[in-house]
Amino acid sequence: MDLAIEVIKVVVVLFGVLNLAGLLTWVERKQSAVMQDRIGANRASILGIRAFGLFHPLADAAKLILKEDFIPEGGNKVLHTLAPFASLFFALLAFAAIPFGNILILDGKEINLQIANLNVGILYIFAMMSMGVYGVVLAGWSSNNKYSLLGGLRASSQMISYEITMGVSIMGIIMVYNSLDLQEIVRRQGELLWGFIPKWGVITQPLACLLFMTAIIAETKRIPFDLPEGESEIIGYFTEYSGMKFGMFFMTDFVETVLAAALMTTLFFGGWQIPYVHGNSLTIVILQVLAFTLKVIFFCWFFMLIRWTLPRFRYDQLMRLGWKMMLPLSLANIFVTGLVILLWN
Amino acid sequence: MPTLTIDGKEITVEKGTTIIQAAEKLGIEIPRYCYHPGLSIAGNCRMCLVEIEKSPKLQISCYTQAADGMVVHTTSEKVKAVRRAILEFLLINHPVDCPVCDQAGECWLQIYYMEHGLYNSRFMENKVRKHFKATPIGPWVNLDSERCILCSRCVRFTSEITKTYELALVNRGDHSEITIFPGKELNNKYSGNVVDICPVGALTDRDFRFQCRVWYLDKQESICPGCSRGCNIEIHYNVQRAHHAGGRRVLRLKPRFNPEVNKWWICDEGRYGYKFIDDKSRIQMPYLQEGEVLVETDWKVVLDKVASTLRSILTTYGTESIGVIASPQLTNEDLYLIRKLFVEDLRLPHVDFKVPVKEKGYEDDFLIKADKNPNTRGAEELGLGAKEGSLNVENMLEAAIAGRLKALYVFGHDLTNFFGEEKIKDIASRLELLVFQGSNLNPTGQYAHVILPSATYAEKDGTFTNFEGRVQRIYKAVEPLGESLPDWEIIVKLARFMGFSYPYQSAREIFKEIATVIPAFNGLSYKVIGNQGAKLATA
Amino acid sequence: MRKEELTFWEQIYIPQIYEGLKVTARHFFKNMKGHIARLLGKPVKDDETVTIQYPEERRPLSPRLRSLHRLVKRADGTPRCVACMMCETICPARCIYIVAAEHPNPDIEKRPARFDIDLGKCVFCGYCVEACPEDAIRMDTGILEFAAYTRQDMIYTMERLLANEPMKITSQGQRL
Repeated sequence: MDLAIEVIKVVVVLFGVLNLAGLLTWVERKQSAVMQDRIGANRASILGIRAFGLFHPLADAAKLILKEDFIPEGGNKVLHTLAPFASLFFALLAFAAIPFGNILILDGKEINLQIANLNVGILYIFAMMSMGVYGVVLAGWSSNNKYSLLGGLRASSQMISYEITMGVSIMGIIMVYNSLDLQEIVRRQGELLWGFIPKWGVITQPLACLLFMTAIIAETKRIPFDLPEGESEIIGYFTEYSGMKFGMFFMTDFVETVLAAALMTTLFFGGWQIPYVHGNSLTIVILQVLAFTLKVIFFCWFFMLIRWTLPRFRYDQLMRLGWKMMLPLSLANIFVTGLVILLWN
Repeated sequence: MPTLTIDGKEITVEKGTTIIQAAEKLGIEIPRYCYHPGLSIAGNCRMCLVEIEKSPKLQISCYTQAADGMVVHTTSEKVKAVRRAILEFLLINHPVDCPVCDQAGECWLQIYYMEHGLYNSRFMENKVRKHFKATPIGPWVNLDSERCILCSRCVRFTSEITKTYELALVNRGDHSEITIFPGKELNNKYSGNVVDICPVGALTDRDFRFQCRVWYLDKQESICPGCSRGCNIEIHYNVQRAHHAGGRRVLRLKPRFNPEVNKWWICDEGRYGYKFIDDKSRIQMPYLQEGEVLVETDWKVVLDKVASTLRSILTTYGTESIGVIASPQLTNEDLYLIRKLFVEDLRLPHVDFKVPVKEKGYEDDFLIKADKNPNTRGAEELGLGAKEGSLNVENMLEAAIAGRLKALYVFGHDLTNFFGEEKIKDIASRLELLVFQGSNLNPTGQYAHVILPSATYAEKDGTFTNFEGRVQRIYKAVEPLGESLPDWEIIVKLARFMGFSYPYQSAREIFKEIATVIPAFNGLSYKVIGNQGAKLATA
Repeated sequence: MRKEELTFWEQIYIPQIYEGLKVTARHFFKNMKGHIARLLGKPVKDDETVTIQYPEERRPLSPRLRSLHRLVKRADGTPRCVACMMCETICPARCIYIVAAEHPNPDIEKRPARFDIDLGKCVFCGYCVEACPEDAIRMDTGILEFAAYTRQDMIYTMERLLANEPMKITSQGQRL
């Protein structure tokens, strides 16, 4: 019975994440079109039904699957094949620690709406995200292409640089909510500050929120931090990939976007919390899951908005921003937070 | 010697000179339709009216003779107004069907309208319909009497130059028109010239009809290769728009004025004798006989074959065993190199160029000569005729049948015409090598063992010497068709395969040598010859 | 080049990002509203969702538009063209190929035996229409789609050009 529940949770999360990622390919095109006064992809049709271009992701998938799977001459076959799998695998694995609902009490049985209830959930997620670097570096290295290799190096140095800020900026949250367990952090965000303001991360740690958001966009390698890929002009680490292996990198991109949205929601926007609503009944829990989903979708939309608004950084700007501005700021944030907590108590 | 002033410029002319001629000497062109320097003066078009001071009315400049102290104005307001009025009169009954008219582009109604007319038509009535609309009146000429402005140049041409009197002006007023006498045809030997002298599109060329627009044509000066008169011509060709006239390049020949040779005229035979240039019979590749058939090959193979065979015949049988039949259709430059290679360097005794013809060609006392070759005199001056002790063409063929001749090199001639096909076939089978070098394939070429494609006169530079010893220049108008080459270039290449190095890069260089080596040509050069020709030192 | 000095406010960068996001978000919501209104069949303002759904929806064509050529026919269906070569001469792309032939009627005299337009070369300058003295060639078919799979198919022969019809004109003077 317990096992069945665990399996169902895994399936539900995987199903949700992968579908959302697939859908995001459509959202990316459609949203950019709407923002730019265009119409966007709407030609793919099944039996004459177009459904606003919703079949385009299907067509893309079919195309990518049917394309020739190409491994460059002199490339390392094993690593070349392993790299996209590694990327996607670790990105998906990170979702295990994200709570998508409160503890549901059904027939007196407690069901934690979180795949793995780890008391070091945050560390686990960061660990998984750091593993993603391997996929990128391996892809660049195994392609036997100087430009791919350089792209991979660019990507790894960027990811490592911004991981530091990401980790440091989150310290404030941990200090405020006194826990590394994500479910616990979310639960603490349901409390009220001065009796009427929800104690969300964004309220208690506004600077950390901004820093974390910037860092996680850099971590997902999307505009304005898309130097490693630079699909339109720079040559990136997956230059030598085609077919579904390229598709996996592509999907990783969107899975990471969903992950970033989920993390933003969980850490700074109350996770599954609906302000002023508490309880463990089925209705409330379902509403909370919906709230969580809506928040995630909002952040997906918001990241897209940023992606289609800002221009790309130059590499020196990227590095300066990471090391000389965001890192000191996040360190200062820890200091101020510590001071405030000390004075508060 | 009257001295007169035209448009402020003074000139002294011979007595009897008309104003229009005097103006021409000053470089002033007075518009005209009926006046033609080669014909009598009709004075009916009134286009050449000019203002002469102290004369009450305007005078026709084509008929008024220059007088001492005369002051003439050709561009005064009065003259301009009259020209415009006359153009308006001439165009009253003109159909203005320029879109379908072959004359468009070289029509003097169009030219003068743009220069002197430019009025808006005021004519509202119906135009008079006439009898001849796109009607052939002879083998070469089409008549459209609605386009005619009744200048009567063509009538005067048939009565004064050819004296055949086929054309006349009939009816009165606006029903006047050019017509041909009942039962007659405009079929004299010079009928094509009426098309040239017709200033409008009334008489057009049937051969050129709808072939190409005249503004597509490029022009190159040349000499007619039709007979030994050497009439000066212009080759009109179209290479820019190849889809016209079925891809033919040379589309018409026009006479070029040369007072010493042909004046303004050429005969129809010469005018329409250009078709071989783009004919299907043109040889575009070198051919080599393999077994019974001729196979396309490249220059290296055929030249190697000819050179090595000639060499082995020379070493085995000696110089007596090779005959060369040069052609008076070739230029002096081509013939000089034939002489240089075969006579001087290979020391062959049997070289000739005179192939007998079945019947004597037509000849008259105007332009057409019986000898249908343009350069017989040149070949003679270059010493290519059979000499004492050497075989002429007839004897060469006899020697070939007897087995004494092993190789024969023929330039362009069709020997079957006089000697019969059977005989040539027989000779070809007896010879070790029969080379045919020519531009068009003929029965003789078909029996040859090797065919070398050569360029036509329109595709090469050079000179022809006419019957009276006038050396005249031909210019390359179009590129040699396919792989063909000018004859002199073929000889240069062949000579290299035979072990002689000839340094010539152009016909001009060869002619320079001719002028120093051949006494008759002394003092001549392309510059001296110019575009009007120059006579041989001996002529 | 002198670099523009940034103010402190601009150096912070965040307000600038905010401004940018405001612009793009405004477009997003405005267009979204338009799309939904269009979907529900409600009237849409001019500045919303301006894109025309091309193959299904078409922009009205100006009557002066130069579109695919056609050859005007006589009453008996033969081309009005008399092969005067004016269009062929004026054509700056040299894409017109006419071969003339004798017309049985001596009052017409000349007709085109071949009239090809190579649309692969045509630059749609309309000079051929301007030059034609017989009003025999027009560019008023309103046909804008003539892509083909081979170069040969891009060559419009006399038969194809004669088969083209002029486009219809609405009461507003717009072509359909």
